[in-house]
Order: sequence, then C-alpha cells, then structure tokens
Amino acid sequence: MPDTIIETKQVSKIFGGLTAVNEVDLQIPEKSIYSIIGPNGAGKTTLFNCISGFYTPEKGQILFYGQPIEGLSTDIIAGSGISRTYQNIRLFGNLTALENILIGLHNKLKNNWMDAMLHSPRFTREDAESLREACRLLEFVGLNGFGDYLALNLPYGMQRRLEIGRALANNPRLLLLDEPTAGMNIQETHVMTEFIKRLRDELGISIILIEHDMKVVMDISDRISVLDYGTKIAEGSPVEIQANPRVIEAYLGPGGAALAEKFQKQRRKSHA
Amino acid sequence: MNKELLRASRQKGVTFGIVLIFLVLINFHIMAATMFSKIMGTNVLRGAIPEVRFLTYFLTLFGIWVGWTATSKAEKAGTRVLQGLVAGLTMGVVVALFDLILVYLVQSKTDIRRYVTNLGFDNINFFLQGFGANGVLVHLGMFILAGVLGSALAIFFQSTAVKGAAQSVKTAFSEMNSRISQNLPDQVKKFGKYLFYLILLGMLFMLPSRWGSYYNFVFGLVGLYVIAGIGLNIMLGLSGQFVIGLAAFFAMGAYSVALLNAPQPHGLMWGFWPALLIGMLVAVIAAVLLGLPTTRLRGDYLGIVTLGFGEIIRILLKSDLLTSFSGGPRGIQDIKGPTLMGKPFTDVTYMYLIIICMAVTIFLYYRLEKSRTGRAWLAIKEDLIVAQATGINIQKYRLLALCIGAAFAGLAGGIFAARNLFTGPNDHSLMVSINILSLIIVGGMNSIPGILLGSFALKGLPEILREMENYRLLVFGALLVVMMLVRPEGLWPASRPNLEKETKEKLFTDGTSEKGGKDA
Repeated sequence: MPDTIIETKQVSKIFGGLTAVNEVDLQIPEKSIYSIIGPNGAGKTTLFNCISGFYTPEKGQILFYGQPIEGLSTDIIAGSGISRTYQNIRLFGNLTALENILIGLHNKLKNNWMDAMLHSPRFTREDAESLREACRLLEFVGLNGFGDYLALNLPYGMQRRLEIGRALANNPRLLLLDEPTAGMNIQETHVMTEFIKRLRDELGISIILIEHDMKVVMDISDRISVLDYGTKIAEGSPVEIQANPRVIEAYLGPGGAALAEKFQKQRRKSHA
Repeated sequence: MNKELLRASRQKGVTFGIVLIFLVLINFHIMAATMFSKIMGTNVLRGAIPEVRFLTYFLTLFGIWVGWTATSKAEKAGTRVLQGLVAGLTMGVVVALFDLILVYLVQSKTDIRRYVTNLGFDNINFFLQGFGANGVLVHLGMFILAGVLGSALAIFFQSTAVKGAAQSVKTAFSEMNSRISQNLPDQVKKFGKYLFYLILLGMLFMLPSRWGSYYNFVFGLVGLYVIAGIGLNIMLGLSGQFVIGLAAFFAMGAYSVALLNAPQPHGLMWGFWPALLIGMLVAVIAAVLLGLPTTRLRGDYLGIVTLGFGEIIRILLKSDLLTSFSGGPRGIQDIKGPTLMGKPFTDVTYMYLIIICMAVTIFLYYRLEKSRTGRAWLAIKEDLIVAQATGINIQKYRLLALCIGAAFAGLAGGIFAARNLFTGPNDHSLMVSINILSLIIVGGMNSIPGILLGSFALKGLPEILREMENYRLLVFGALLVVMMLVRPEGLWPASRPNLEKETKEKLFTDGTSEKGGKDA
C-alpha cells in the first residue's frame, strides 16, 4: 500500500435538514487517479468543496499528509498544495489565458508591491521566471500560441484545459477535477483522458476525479468510490465496482442489479 | 411607398421638435447661438443676445440632423429624400405650433415670465428670428429645407462612391504606414519614440510658463483629478472595490496640509513637504480603519458604506463640535504652501509639481498593474471566490489596494489645498467623489489615456466652457448617456497585454535575460 496523500475521516456536511455528505471515509493513495462517482445530487461536489475549503464540514476530519485542513480558508489550502477545477468553468474571463496561468503561479512567487514599484532584483528575477514558467505550462496544456486570447474567447475544450493549467501552476500535490470531460465529444474526451493520465505519470500528481462518463472512469481510475445520498456505498477497483450490485441499484433503482445482469447476458449471447 | 418608413420619419420629426422646444424653454438656443458667434469670431457680451443669423445656423443644423437620421440606409434615394422631407415637415409643424403660442403671448402682451423665467419678450422675438408672426412660416420653410438637405447629405456621405473613396484613402495610408515602419531600422524607430517623448517633455516644460495662470489653474485641477482618479482606479478598476467616498481620503490629505501649515486654528508651521507625507499617511490609516471591517463586503454594499464614510468625514469637518480643531464650516484660510529657493510656489511651479506627481503616479500604476500584485487584484475583481481558491489572500490584497489608492488621493488633496491657499468642507463634498468616479468610467477603466481623457472631459471642459455654466450638468448628463450608448467601455478602453508574444520574443530568443532564470 503506497502512502496516503489525503484522508477523510467520517466527514459530514449538513445543509439545514439535508445531510449532503454523510460520514464519508476516503483514503487516497499517492500518485493515483481516484474517481468519485454517483447519481446527481449524491454529494460529490459538496465533498470536493469540503476538501478544498469552500465548506467547513460539520463533523469529521480531513488530513492532508497527516495534517488536519478542515475549516481552513481556501487560499491556505491552495497554498498547501491542493488545486481544483470547477464543474462549470470558472476562469478569469476578461484576462488573457497567460494571465490566468500567471495568477495560478501566485503562491510560488514572493515579490510584493514594494518590489513591483521599485523593480527590485527579486521582482526582475521572479517576473522573467514566472513568464517563462507560464509559457511552458501553456504549452503543456496544449494552448501554445493562444496565450494572448481572452479566456472567455477560447473554445470550450481549451477553457477546460486552461483551467487545469491554472490549477497546475500552483504546483499541487493533489488535484481535484470536477467533471473535466463534461460537454465534450468523443474525440475531445479521449484527448482529455490521455492528458489526465500524463498528469499522474509525468508530474506524479494525485488526482481525485468526479466524472459521469463511465467509460472515462473505468479507463483511467486506479480506485473508485461510489456516493449515493451522501453516503459511501462502495469502494474498489474499476472491475469490482462494475460488478457491485449496490452500485447498479443506486444508478438504476431497486431491482436494477437483476435487470443489468439479464441485459449483460443478452449482450454476451449476441456477441457470441 | 412604405407607410412604416414614413411613420418612423414622422416620429423622428416630432421627437426632435419637442426636444427643440425644451431646449428653447431652458434658453439653450441663446447659448448655442452665442457659441456659434464666438466660433465665427464675433464676441457677445455676457447676458446679451447674439445676432439672429447665429440662431439660424443652430436651427438649420438641428433640421439637417433630423433629416439625416430620418433616412434609412437601405432605401432608394427618392424614398430617402421623401423621408427627410416628412421629418423636416413634421418638425416644422411642431415648432410652428409652439411659435403660434409664442406669437399669441406677444400679441396679448401676457408676461409669463412668472412661470417660465426664460420666455421674456426679447427672447421670444429672438427665437422668431425678428419676423414676428411671420416667424411661424419662416420656421416651417426652414425645417423642410433643412430636412431635405440633411437627407441629401446622408445620401451623399453614405453612398458607395464616397465610402469607397474614403476606404481606399484609408488603406493607402495604412499601407504607406506599414511600409515605412517595415523599412525603418530598429534604431530609427527607437529614436522616433525617444523624439516623441522628448517633444512631449518639452511641451510639458514649456507650456505652464507660457499659457497663463488661467490654464494653469484649469489643467492643474485636471492633473489633480488624474492623480485621484488613478487612486480610485486601483480600488475600483484593479481590485474591483466599489468605493464612492474617495473625497474622504482627498480631505485627509487636504486637511493635513492645511492644519499643519496655517496660522489658524493651531498655528503650526511644519512645512509643506512633511505635511504632505503626513496627509498621505493619514489617508492610508483611514483606509485601513475603513477597510478592516469592510473587506468582506462586496459590490453595492461596499459602495454604500464608503459613501457614508465620505459624508461622515465631511460632516465632521463641518460640525461645530470640531470647529476648534478643524476650522468648522469656514474652513482653513491662509495655508502656507511650499517654497522654491525661498520663494513661494507660483501657479507655474505648482503646475510643474502636479505634472511630476502625475508622472510618478502613472509610472507606479503601470508597474503595479504589470506585477504579481496587480494580477492578484485583477483576479479578485474577476472572481473573488476563485481568486481565493487559487491561493490569493483576498483580505490582504483588497486592503492593500485601498491603502495605495487612498495614498494617491491624499497626495492630490494635499496639493489641492496648498494651491488654493484654502480648504473647507465644501471642497470635499459628495460631488468630488462622484466626479472622480465618473471620470474613470467615462474615460475607460484601467486605461491611463482613458483617465487622462476622462479627467479632461469632466473637469477641464466644464471649466473652459464657462459660458455653459447653467447647462453644465445637462451637458454632463447627456455626455454620460451618449457615451454609455456609443462607447460603453469608456472613451479609451483598456486592452490586455500580449504577454505570450512579448515573452517569447524577449525571454526565449534573447540569451542575456536567460540569466535571470538561472539565479533562481
């Protein structure tokens, strides 16, 4: 078992009378792709918001490299090495693509307003360095030559990748991706899947993924957790999850497992 | 013939006619005629009525305007002339009806000045162009002719031939331009740039001592508003904080200089320069005190709080309670300004001081905008929540923007007070805040040329066009509305820098700057 990068212990988030996340335990191993799936309203994004600091969980603990981070503000959590993207893309639309990435680099730089006013050596060095780093990242996410476009003018797929680029600029150890392939066609989805694999293999980043496209999930995940009504109902490798009757029932309703089995038998017959 | 088109023209005519009547009711036509006469070189004494022909010019222009706008581009020439004719005729009829009322008033010797102050007999006769009752027919004929003329002009200037000619001239010009810039070596281009700056510098150096104290006064005011405007732009344009009460920080600077350099009420004479620094410091401290509880507020709420803050400061300065400390409603007189080699500053030296301060402010603004700090502010403006989740400490950066902006406003206020030798509560009213706010919105947010233009348009023009005194606010409002319609992003909107291109040109091809990366 590799080292755990982040761990949630009995995390609960309650909105009024609704328990959006109910005592969820997760252990995400380092340098892996971990998917969280579940029907709409299962609490996946709420769990993300708890991890990235948007919400403070009512109960439970979130440990990042063994340190509790629940209840800290989002900028401190980002500074400790957790980046995220959003379900509905949230770029800084009226700034250029390159500026978006430069803003992502904020945490890595040290120069302050006095340095900027006086153009101190620290500023000159960091400025050149950050511009070069941003160009490199732009190339990494495949937006070479699009750096001077306003973010809102970029096509959809590029906006998704730019958002990941901005998250990567923060030099994260953990990356939270909220439906990165939503609204993409098969071709774009394939490119994005390969890209996510590269993040793990080349940069050694751990990734937690929320995704509805089962083909993507089963293709790239190392482990999968299934949430339903805020509760974790299953966890395991893609193969285990596919065979789990509780998961199938969560998606298809009661009796769904039997139905699915029947359907699969038929399919096997017709293939044979 | 399309009835719809003619109905639209008729509506235009009615609208323009009614607008003209309103303008006459507020005596605008006399001012317009006065301005025409000044442009033509005939001076008119204040309050006197100018020659009738200048009124004719004004009315004809109005008629041509209605004829021009009433035509629709897609139609044939004949239809367009007819449209112009109908619009002119309708406008003529509307104005003629108004004329009939005026004629009746004159003939029945009813003096309605008790109700409509501007409709004296002189003014009525002037508007009827001296023709008395026949003025009705004269106006009717004049507007019909002007309407047709307007449509003819529209047809001519919007015709393909004229447009094509303009286009070809334009392309030829830009081609010539690009050919010249391509063939010029880099040194020459650089030299041209330096030459431009040299000429600008020379002008800035020469003009203040040449053009007289009136223009020094006007443009000094414009410069001070530019400094304050840049301060507000850091708060509003960069970090997205809707601050209305900038006059409060302006007042801090002004009162610091005043209280520390006037015989009354304290008799302290600390000198101008330390007082100016103290003023900026006081403004910054006020910004911190205001900012600590309010950095969590967003949008309109922050606007209302800062509006209240500005008013509280003004009312405190005005109150009897603080009269012994701040001079009360009468303000502070006889402020001792800075000296240069033993001599007190004149209007020319003040102008130089303002130009230098403006240049420094602009310089610092550019440096801040293109830095990590500036980008953090822009991110906060774009999306506060995401900015924080990207790792930006939003409380800190919003407070920082408030402080730097307040320091700039305090600087402007300090110079303002010393230059006027006086400051009082009325110098720091809400109107000051609103003026500064409008100048950056009119000029274009985050754009220095925009702020310069906006400051000139809102503070310089009204001072120069003193004739329009009574109509200043009218023109002001009209300008704002027109600008919002025509240029919603400001007179000179900002554009984002092409950083990728610049970086690739500079950092990846150029070997010398590679050193910076290796140090890290």
